[in-house]
Amino acid sequence: MTDKRVKKKDTANMDCAQFQERLPELFESGADLNADPHLRKCANCAALVRDLEYIAQQAKLLLPLHDPSPTVWNNIQSAIQRDGLNLEKEDTSPVKQP
Amino acid sequence: MSTPETQPRPINQHIRRNPPIEGEEEAITKAQKGDPQAFEMLYALHKRRVYSLCLRMLGNIAEAEDLTQEAFLQLYRKIGTFRGDSAFSTWLHRLAVNVVLMHLRKKGLPQVSLEESLEPVQDDGPRKDIGARDLTLAGSIDRVTLERAVENLPPGYRLVFVLHDVEGYEHNEIADMLACSIGNSKSQLHKARMKLRELLRTGERKEQAV
Repeated sequence: MTDKRVKKKDTANMDCAQFQERLPELFESGADLNADPHLRKCANCAALVRDLEYIAQQAKLLLPLHDPSPTVWNNIQSAIQRDGLNLEKEDTSPVKQP
Repeated sequence: MSTPETQPRPINQHIRRNPPIEGEEEAITKAQKGDPQAFEMLYALHKRRVYSLCLRMLGNIAEAEDLTQEAFLQLYRKIGTFRGDSAFSTWLHRLAVNVVLMHLRKKGLPQVSLEESLEPVQDDGPRKDIGARDLTLAGSIDRVTLERAVENLPPGYRLVFVLHDVEGYEHNEIADMLACSIGNSKSQLHKARMKLRELLRTGERKEQAV
């Protein structure tokens, strides 16, 4: 885990390209970017950070809202009854990437 | 649905969306023994999230329902192999993600082999944003606009964005689901947000020009 204080100090002398290169790392560090030295002097990067934070925040509006139609469950039940699907008992690791 | 907060929280602090569900553990145990009612309960608990994931990835109700059905049939077959090493919803989501990716590959979309889906070849990488700008997004995005922009993301970006920012999975869980590195998941998420910003701003400019 990297030290947040070091990151904050580091960004003071960065140009915009360098700062934006580090941005994913800064976001994931959980640091409060409002106080970031680069952002205090750079309106463009500050706007970028605000937008990305806003997008992440608004993503929560996209929570699942709709259920599948009842046909889906009916089809599942029919398939189980019709084919008597075999249950796997041994763990061959749940789902492997093909 | 809760009202969006005025002040965005730090970008990496999202709401946990797979807390333990009352009765789920017992239903899993029973379903593993072939209890149909327990399996039906698991379907009722998770159908919405699985369906939403399928719908977001495919953008088509009929296909999304087909894949939801396939995911739950696979669940029925494989539930005996669930050992509880991860949350059940995470395990189920991993299964559903695989079903979706397999389907997209069958449709012949070149960018959905797993590595490629996580590393789109077109020029969708994050561009440096160094020029002066006249627009900010704050306050301007509604659900429909964002939904439409997400639909226009390349599948790999869309998947990571939906899993992390919408569903609330952690990068280590996403890396596990997609068999990629945590760093890759973080990188794809950042690219997805940057691409979304570009799409949303382009949309705003078009609206202003009309």
